[in-house]
Amino acid sequence: MPKQGSAPAARAALSRRSALAGATAVLLSAGCGGGSGASSGGSTQTSGVTITVALAGDPLPQAALDTFTQDTGITVKWVNLDWDSLQTKISAAATANTYFADATNVDWSRVGQLGRLGWFYPMESYLDTDAMAEDVPQLASFSTDGHVVGIPYDASFMVTTINVDMFTAAGVDPAPATIEEYTEALRQIKARGIVEHPLNIPFAAAEGLSTYWYETTAAFGGSVLDENGEAQFTDPDSGGYRAAEWMVGALTEGLVAPGSINVTDSQGQQTLMAQGQVASTFSDYSGTVGTLYDVPASSTVVGKVRYLPTPGVDGPAANLSNPDGIGIPKQAKYPDAAAKFIEWFTSQQQQTDFAGVNGPEKAYTGYPIPSRLSAVQAMTSGGNLVQGDALIPMLEKSRPVFEGGAPTWYPEFSNAVYTNLHAAATGSMSVQAAMEGVADKAEQLASGS
Amino acid sequence: MTSTSQAPRTPGATGGAGTAAGKATATGRRRLDLLPYLLVAPVALFIICLALVPAVFTVVQSFFRVSALDPPTRFDGLGNFTRLLRNDAVVSSLVNTGFYVLVGVTLSTLLGVAIAVVLQRPFRGRSLVIAVAILPWALPGVVEGILWSGIFDPSSGLINSLVASLHLGSGDTLLLGQHRLLTIALIELVQVWQITPLSALLILAALQLIPAELYEAAQIDGCSRWSAFWRITLPLARPGIAVAMVQAAIATLNVFDQPYVLNGAADTGASVMMQTYFISFQNLDFGQGYALSLLITLTTLVISFAVVRLVYRKVEL
Repeated sequence: MPKQGSAPAARAALSRRSALAGATAVLLSAGCGGGSGASSGGSTQTSGVTITVALAGDPLPQAALDTFTQDTGITVKWVNLDWDSLQTKISAAATANTYFADATNVDWSRVGQLGRLGWFYPMESYLDTDAMAEDVPQLASFSTDGHVVGIPYDASFMVTTINVDMFTAAGVDPAPATIEEYTEALRQIKARGIVEHPLNIPFAAAEGLSTYWYETTAAFGGSVLDENGEAQFTDPDSGGYRAAEWMVGALTEGLVAPGSINVTDSQGQQTLMAQGQVASTFSDYSGTVGTLYDVPASSTVVGKVRYLPTPGVDGPAANLSNPDGIGIPKQAKYPDAAAKFIEWFTSQQQQTDFAGVNGPEKAYTGYPIPSRLSAVQAMTSGGNLVQGDALIPMLEKSRPVFEGGAPTWYPEFSNAVYTNLHAAATGSMSVQAAMEGVADKAEQLASGS
Repeated sequence: MTSTSQAPRTPGATGGAGTAAGKATATGRRRLDLLPYLLVAPVALFIICLALVPAVFTVVQSFFRVSALDPPTRFDGLGNFTRLLRNDAVVSSLVNTGFYVLVGVTLSTLLGVAIAVVLQRPFRGRSLVIAVAILPWALPGVVEGILWSGIFDPSSGLINSLVASLHLGSGDTLLLGQHRLLTIALIELVQVWQITPLSALLILAALQLIPAELYEAAQIDGCSRWSAFWRITLPLARPGIAVAMVQAAIATLNVFDQPYVLNGAADTGASVMMQTYFISFQNLDFGQGYALSLLITLTTLVISFAVVRLVYRKVEL
């Protein structure tokens, strides 16, 4: 999923535009062979080589990279690109069959597309992914057609966050467990004037709106698409339809600020939630309490926000995962060396180090939650994961947005989701029309027409 | 301008074709004649490789089915174009972009002329005013989008605050995303703010070439300032105005940052350039991406040609 939290939409727009020009030139000059997914036949050398690792994040601590180099003889050149630019570069390099990086981002939302395109080496050829599966529950999100496209390195999943002070001030105790109780609690907060608009929903026509709807759909007991890619949300009693109605209704009712129409998820977190302007975000990102809301420099609600088991129809609902992974593009110069890096990067030992369990000098700040359960448990017992006790059960029960991986046409589908939901929120179309519009698009894409 | 007194001598005109001196001169001249081409060659090569070849390639490939998800690449005739025109999002973005061009070119030209006329005559601090006026042009579109998103914010934005404090309304109007024309107008206003300084400078450059004597003569003949503007300033500024309009048309046809930052991918403001990005790099349908790029290029050429034909006039002073 496009991590707008780490790559704000504005920055993304700038990078998109420049990337558009650059990548188009690359594609055009390269002849654009139509995405053969052909391997460049990289070297099997695993020592004395330099590999390029391109991810949307700051470089790893130099000491950790130095240790890796000493142990393996592989030098790592780290390239930090925002998420959108990274996706454009991956597409451009693969289509033009040119080298870009030895290891790079594999996002959950592109697994189906990347699997079909064959742009990445199957990771089961390099690592024992079967053995890894138990400790890395989100590995399922990276599997398609029997192949593992990438290895998840963080455990991002959607969670509900609440400002406890505001809920308590409204007399909401205990915390709501169902969506009905949750909605009533928000009404209480509004009625008592604690905040005018207690709920945060980023209604801007961007990816964050789609993922918010997926999580809300799951909370209403529904799913978005079945295994054949058929829409599961056109029936007014379906989870998806009710989720859309609930979201748009919250805006109409005034639980959500009118200005949220133009708010992206990152803005929603950083401005509305972190500045105490809302009481809750129904579909927030795991780790935001420790990395944003409890950071005095970026928050006025330090110590006041906690994770709430996501309220469902009859009790806590599942949390959908949207993790980031890392894989090896077929144009890699040193795929075997890249595999060694990925094995090291996603190992339990390194994840524990990056999480700061073994000292701040080994910590990797852009790394909220490891993908390995064992690392998360070590983090929690060491007191290094804020509210880890609340997060671990959610992580254990987290499930992919799309069972069997995101469809190949996910980006176009998501575009239809967020543009139609946005239109429904502005009042320019009904919820029913929005759901039908999305369903039509899904049908069209699934049928290949 | 005076011309040089001696005509160049060609080898055949030396009169002594076989003389050593004549050969030496001819060789030297031949070397000299190649020099301009050698000097221009790197730039020419650069342009051919990075502009002309890809442009030709785009034209050719726009008639092929080039989709990473649907290989192999194959001839598709006008398939890409027909699919584009059947795509509601693309058609909507074409209409939006048409409005961007209309509003943007008109406003930036009118404002550019007005600013240029104000800056035409020297006054104290004029250089400083020009330096400040050019600032919006120097800012990236994304930064401008962020700045203006604060101004347009329905809850705490400047516009709604003004409306509320002047008791002109409730002050919580949703300015972007609800009404299509309003959304486009406001987004384009931000781009006009960006491109107008360049338009003003281009027109100002043309105005600077108008001799002051023309205005003095007109004044002696009883011409009013308004009349002088219509009969002297505007006609003689037409080359500058034409260039300003062409650059405004190119900028507005390619608008991406402002609508994306201010209104996301919503249909109410999505531009055709945004659709090119989505089609090419999200849907990985490069064939349609090429076709849409070609349509934008052709539209740019047509508009530019029309502006030059209608507005541009050669001025000899």
